[in-house]
Amino acid sequence: MNKYKTLIIDDEAPARVIIQKFLSAYPEFEVTGEFEDGFSGLKGIRETNPDLVFLDIQMPKLTGLELLELLENPPVIIFSTAYDQYAVKAFEMSATDYLLKPYSRQRFDQAMQKAIQSIKTGADNKQPVNALVQTMDNDPGIIYRIAVKIRHNVHVIPTSEILYIEAEGDYVMIFTPAGKFLKEKTMKYFETHLDPSVFTRIHRSFIVNLNAIARLELYDKEQYVVKLKDDTVLKASSAGYKTLKEKLNL
Amino acid sequence: MLHPVFRSWKSVVIYFGAWIIVTMVQFSILFFFYGVPGTFAFIDSLIFNMMFSLMGIILWFVVRYCPLGKGVSWNMLFNHLSSAALILVGWMATSYFLLSSIFPSEARLLHFIRDSLPSQAILGVMLYVLTGLGYYLILMYNDLQERLKAEARLNELLRESELNVLKSQINPHFLFNSLNSVSSLTITDPEKAQEMVIRLSDFLRYSVSASSKQFVSLNKEMENIERYLEIEKVRFGKKLDYIHHIDPACQSMMIPATVLQPLFENAIKHGVYESTGTVCIETTCTRDPGMTIITMVNDFDSEAPRKAGTGVGLSNIRERLRLLYHRTDLLEFRAEDAKFKVILKIPDNHE
Repeated sequence: MNKYKTLIIDDEAPARVIIQKFLSAYPEFEVTGEFEDGFSGLKGIRETNPDLVFLDIQMPKLTGLELLELLENPPVIIFSTAYDQYAVKAFEMSATDYLLKPYSRQRFDQAMQKAIQSIKTGADNKQPVNALVQTMDNDPGIIYRIAVKIRHNVHVIPTSEILYIEAEGDYVMIFTPAGKFLKEKTMKYFETHLDPSVFTRIHRSFIVNLNAIARLELYDKEQYVVKLKDDTVLKASSAGYKTLKEKLNL
Repeated sequence: MLHPVFRSWKSVVIYFGAWIIVTMVQFSILFFFYGVPGTFAFIDSLIFNMMFSLMGIILWFVVRYCPLGKGVSWNMLFNHLSSAALILVGWMATSYFLLSSIFPSEARLLHFIRDSLPSQAILGVMLYVLTGLGYYLILMYNDLQERLKAEARLNELLRESELNVLKSQINPHFLFNSLNSVSSLTITDPEKAQEMVIRLSDFLRYSVSASSKQFVSLNKEMENIERYLEIEKVRFGKKLDYIHHIDPACQSMMIPATVLQPLFENAIKHGVYESTGTVCIETTCTRDPGMTIITMVNDFDSEAPRKAGTGVGLSNIRERLRLLYHRTDLLEFRAEDAKFKVILKIPDNHE
């Protein structure tokens, strides 16, 4: 019989060990890989195509949730977190199963029953994952990095490196000195999740990094443009120009 | 500091109002007791007192220049004598000049004024002393207010740092992850699990009891840091490494309670949590004349984006040190070549 391939992704060794111990009661599951950070975990998932993944939220390089966003065909995932109010809320709303550390064997078994059912019925995991990502977007926290995908490579962009963001239909284009990156998120999302002391929305189509601005110019009557240090010129609406002026203390 | 007379419209009115009362008193004395004609008495007291009220405004700067500080000094006395002489001469000369130009032909009045100059001078000295004392009182009052404010701020900060320690001891991430490690160890290594529980309890106990005291010995504080690091080491294994070099002469030195804890938490949060390689925290305590110097160096992933909260813990420590030691140069930190370095100086004497 083919065993179910299982990955454990957690940055703390004792946390991985207890999953292994609890999982040893399920002979049909085999741990085929353990990873200590989100980046290598993502690689592991892509390369081995596992049936089940135990995924911690708080990890270096890439959090469990950032990792999740980058998966095209997610396997069945059991999340674990020690404490993250928003994550817990998001799990509940998207009906995804999760383990709150520390957890009992009974709780672990419960999660396994659900997981086994999902694996056996071959349920589509993309939907609950999408629901989860969407609820997580309501987390009011400021983001400090953005994970983007270019074909099969993942880039993590620190938000401080963003010059500006331009709306592109259902996507946005993120411009950095290293190039531009497409991301499936709304302008509204970035408007609420980027540090407001650094970023401001100057137009329906533009969010700009205040540190990248070289000068403001009057283009036409009532029409202002923002010139960046790399000579890019962005249009500003009059409302956008007003908030921009306030933030720059002009 | 703003001139007390010009702080608000109210203070201007009060100041000149007081001088109008003095003017009226002087007028009454001249008019009723000395039988000076009404107009003369009025103009005379008005000019002299209004001139002095202007001189009194200048006096503020003399008082500011000679603050009471640590009591009365010869230097201060000399400054006041010379300023009194200048102000009095200026005052009488201008007043006399004004009066004589208002009444150029009234020989009787000018005579009276000339006669009354010595008593006017004595009055001037009294007014000088009174105004000066008034200003000193205002200064002392302000000083007291500021002291009270600083003290209140210190207490507030202390409460805040106590609160932070309280928060860090029940820092949910730290606590629940540590408990998860314990849960795992009970299966794989019960003895180590017991050790971990004891260490966790000792750490929590220290944080609870230390927060009520203001100063502890460096030794005690480092013992607790050691516990904290040991617990984190169980969670992160080879990812966390630490070395302490502590000069034995530092061990009994008193330092503000829990001042070091946020530094180590910072190092763990921005170093270990965000890195995939080994992060080493190296702590060195040495003695300098009159102070203990604590240096911490930790590796960090310079490519990991800076998270919110960087520097907040550090600036809280700096503010606390400023209030305790009245110095702003006691905490330095810099990041270079994937190393984060913090230098903390703790003077032996505090207020």
